[in-house]
Amino acid sequence: MPERDEVLLRVEHLCQYFGRVKAVNDVSFDIKRGEIFGLVGESGCGKTTTGRSIIRIYDITSGSIYFKGQRICAGTLSYENAIKEARKGLKTAQGAEAERLKQVIAENRKAIEEARHDHKYSDRDYANKLAARLKKEYEEAAEQAGGDTEKLEQLKKKYRDDLRIAKNTRLITNIQMIFQDPVASLNPRMTVREIIAEGLIIQGVRDQKYIDEKVYEILDLVGLTREHAGRYPHEFSGGQKQRIGIARSVIMKPDMLIADEPVSALDVSIQAQVINLLGDLRDQLGLTILFIAHDLSVVKYFSDRIGVMYYGEMVELATSDELFAHPLHPYTRSLLSSIPLPDPHTEKKRKRITYNPLAAHDYSVDKPSLREIVPGHFVKCNDAEMARYEQELRGQL
Amino acid sequence: MDKILEVRHLKIAFRTQTGTLKAVRDISFDLEKGRTLAIVGESGSGKSVTSRAVMGILAGNAIVEGGEIFFDGRDLLRIPEEEMQLIRGDKISMIFQDPLSSLNPIVKIGKQITEAMLLKNKTSRKQAKGQFQRLLKLMQEKTVEAAPDKKQHVEELYRTFNNFCTAGTKLEDSYNNASASLQELQAYLGDFLFKAEKKQPLDVRAALKYVASRLPKVKHPQLTGSEADARLDSLISEMNSAARTAVKATAEHPVDSKTTGLLTRTLEELNTLNAKERPDFLAMGYARSVHPDRNMSPAEAEKALQEEFMADFLPLVDQAVSRSHAESIQRKQALLPQLREASKWYSQAFEHADATRRCKALTKEVEASIDRLEVRKDSAAYAFGSSLTGAIERYYDCKKRNPKEERRFARQSARRERQIARGRHVTWKVVPANVYDEGELHDNIRMVTDRLAERTEAAVSAELDVRGRSEELVATLRSYASDMVARLTKGMAHERAIKLMEEVGIHEPRQRFYQYPFEFSGGMRQRIVIAIALAANPDILICDEPTTALDVTIQAQILEVINRLKEERHLSVIFITHDLGVVANMADDIAVMYAGKIVEYGTADDIFYDPRHPYTWALLASMPDLDTKEKLESIPGTPPDMIYPPEGDAFAERNRYAMQIDFEEQPPMFRVSETHSAATWLLHPDAPKVDMPKIISERIARLKAREAMEGGAEDA
Repeated sequence: MPERDEVLLRVEHLCQYFGRVKAVNDVSFDIKRGEIFGLVGESGCGKTTTGRSIIRIYDITSGSIYFKGQRICAGTLSYENAIKEARKGLKTAQGAEAERLKQVIAENRKAIEEARHDHKYSDRDYANKLAARLKKEYEEAAEQAGGDTEKLEQLKKKYRDDLRIAKNTRLITNIQMIFQDPVASLNPRMTVREIIAEGLIIQGVRDQKYIDEKVYEILDLVGLTREHAGRYPHEFSGGQKQRIGIARSVIMKPDMLIADEPVSALDVSIQAQVINLLGDLRDQLGLTILFIAHDLSVVKYFSDRIGVMYYGEMVELATSDELFAHPLHPYTRSLLSSIPLPDPHTEKKRKRITYNPLAAHDYSVDKPSLREIVPGHFVKCNDAEMARYEQELRGQL
Repeated sequence: MDKILEVRHLKIAFRTQTGTLKAVRDISFDLEKGRTLAIVGESGSGKSVTSRAVMGILAGNAIVEGGEIFFDGRDLLRIPEEEMQLIRGDKISMIFQDPLSSLNPIVKIGKQITEAMLLKNKTSRKQAKGQFQRLLKLMQEKTVEAAPDKKQHVEELYRTFNNFCTAGTKLEDSYNNASASLQELQAYLGDFLFKAEKKQPLDVRAALKYVASRLPKVKHPQLTGSEADARLDSLISEMNSAARTAVKATAEHPVDSKTTGLLTRTLEELNTLNAKERPDFLAMGYARSVHPDRNMSPAEAEKALQEEFMADFLPLVDQAVSRSHAESIQRKQALLPQLREASKWYSQAFEHADATRRCKALTKEVEASIDRLEVRKDSAAYAFGSSLTGAIERYYDCKKRNPKEERRFARQSARRERQIARGRHVTWKVVPANVYDEGELHDNIRMVTDRLAERTEAAVSAELDVRGRSEELVATLRSYASDMVARLTKGMAHERAIKLMEEVGIHEPRQRFYQYPFEFSGGMRQRIVIAIALAANPDILICDEPTTALDVTIQAQILEVINRLKEERHLSVIFITHDLGVVANMADDIAVMYAGKIVEYGTADDIFYDPRHPYTWALLASMPDLDTKEKLESIPGTPPDMIYPPEGDAFAERNRYAMQIDFEEQPPMFRVSETHSAATWLLHPDAPKVDMPKIISERIARLKAREAMEGGAEDA
């Protein structure tokens, strides 16, 4: 098992605006290596957008995303705002204050430049690093081989192949996505073999035998058979299609999967198959999974930690047991109270808690932020609420 | 229990490119009044097809292979489209899965909600008139038959009845007119005040003049009375004087508080008037036509009607009812052996012409045996003729078509073989032979007569409450009489739609009324679909996965709305879903479907606390609840291809508990208790004892423990 404490993905102050719509607003969280992080919320709360921003389907507006310590996405809006603010101050400021503001502007300009560089070239940097390492290895090996021309030739050929792949490798390939609708996300004109192998081919692998072997291996892994490789997507059932989608993402040997509602389009009997498959893959390959869903019982069952989102903001974040045992934020409570359960007696007595943000909070004076109430349990609240939550938790414990 | 809808041995198939797909294979269930039946199963199990068959909206390539759907004396599978049109949306309505595709994108929401109400009103008035006259004539005939010595007296009584019914309906008509003006004014004032509150530009003078001119039309002795008339008069004069000084309202100068106050008072007055109970117009009509000189109050009129007329009239109706019932019983008893014989005859080989002749003769007998004075119709008897003819025609049709189809198949296959033998590249496929099982079709014919025989037997031994039925008959006449003059104008429909929108939880309905579907969110759209489905006040509501496209919070709200409306309007609901959590919330009864068959049927408690079929186990085990920690038990494999349905139990291949017999023979429904039955060989007395999966038994134990704890807490 990999180390549990290594932070694999860090999202810092992520903002994703579409025009005036703030789809995601100032969301921060860490995902540790090997864990399953659940993201829940009602439709339109920005959970899918968060997932898509992470694999750069969108260019983020502000904030940064670090993967394996390397910044892979960066937005510039916060820096631009800081500059604007400073310029405004500069009109009236004098002396030392003006100097300070000028420095602020310069710092932020630099930050914007860096952000743009990271956003654009992080993959190239990563590929260059890989290539450099390969070159070093090759040179060492060549030195060892000495005058053996045959071996040298072999080494050279391998180096050429590896170098081509390395140059095509992107850091972002280590994060793969599984989409909600298995029907819409598979190309109907490609066979399963082509669909699964496409990633490898784009990366520059040309050895057909190696590709076939890989495809068969992955098909076995996700519970399909070799014979399925030659067929087209329409010949499969919904659950099998979702398996193909998973195979396609797993073949790239990713460190992390983003599963965007992978089971909501599937039948009940098939849902369990896919969830079990994802769980097995996590154990076998040591995957880290960002699991986006709105079915809370599935998320509770599957995830180690859960983040609850509401209107583009993270309102509560805790381990799944803690979240379900001691929900603090009123929205989380309302969400938990509306989970349908397979039990007619409790269902018929169920009282749904409604959440009205205007009535539940008074943020006119004290603005809220995400704060840690007990270790590992974060809630979005202000000072007064924080005190109340702490008291509640102590009362419960 | 009052069965409102009966589905019997329904079989539906679809003709497809690759063969005949058996979507529904012989299912039967009843829907009882005021209860919710949930049909659970995965996609392709035939649950939506069943509901579509009830609505009469099956796809074009569907073939109804057999069975009946009885509703209100009719077999919904065999009535012409014109008749179905009158039932669909009016008596049975449906909420579809995807709200966006079931709303018209270019018509405003308000119009879509009121459309059904207005259409229904027009036809129902016409219908009621005919129904009233037919029933009255029939009752008179039967009464005269029952008491031939009092013929003149009876005719006299019926004439009086008809007369005061007419007087009553006339009075009701004028009342309805006044009530219509009232409701239209309510709608107008409601809209006006809403706009005034939103500071929209308004022509205040025109509005005041309009209201003042319409208010006198609300006056009606039964609706307002002299006191309220005086109040309305004073309001009118206030309005006229206010209209003289009124100016146009704009965003900067909104309507002044005096005017809004005046109009609010008017609206409140109208609201209290509208909330008043409707008087009984039959009694009022009686008072008018028999005692024109006395000015009776509604209570007095009712008393006079009961004491003077009904005391005389009801015993005569009683006589007619019991005579008609006795006659029908006699005929039914005579019919029984005939039915038995027919059943035997139909189970042998026969000629087409003979069968038709016999069917016609039998239908005549059956129709003669129907008690026409029944209020609730015995659907099987009413629909017997069409069911039997349908079954016979189908049998001969298929008998004729089967050999042709087989020949075509052989010809095409041979041609394909030939081409392949010549070494050509053949791209086309042979369409499989679309052959029907003649034995099964033959059985269908016999089953129709058998079923009626069963019914008749039950009817012969049943008791009859004579007075109850006579009162029911008079009540039916009354409701027909008031349906004749039930008026619904556009303005009234508007007001009703707004109330309906409020009921389903749409805020600011007055503004929303004029919006298009795209201006609504998913949850709101689904509420509008519910409002449309309820607009015509149906008896049965079919919900086809109404919340699958919505997320949990909205889902919980929609389910609450459906449950509340069901209570308020005494709806019977068929709820189709694959989410067992939702089922637990909604259902009274549950039918679990798999591969076109019902595999388990029972109350919600039966299914969740004592499931018996392995498929139900698998469904329950494959969904996690909040306490699940262990690995989920997924169902291996996929549902079978229904073009070639398996020989034995369709679930056998995915079933861990399958026995040899499961692959060979289909299990019958085994009864577990009065309400609970399941189709699995495991319930056979010879079967080995099998425990349900641990994950479910543990969950049930947990639920029971929790409930016991909560029960204890409540007692303490």
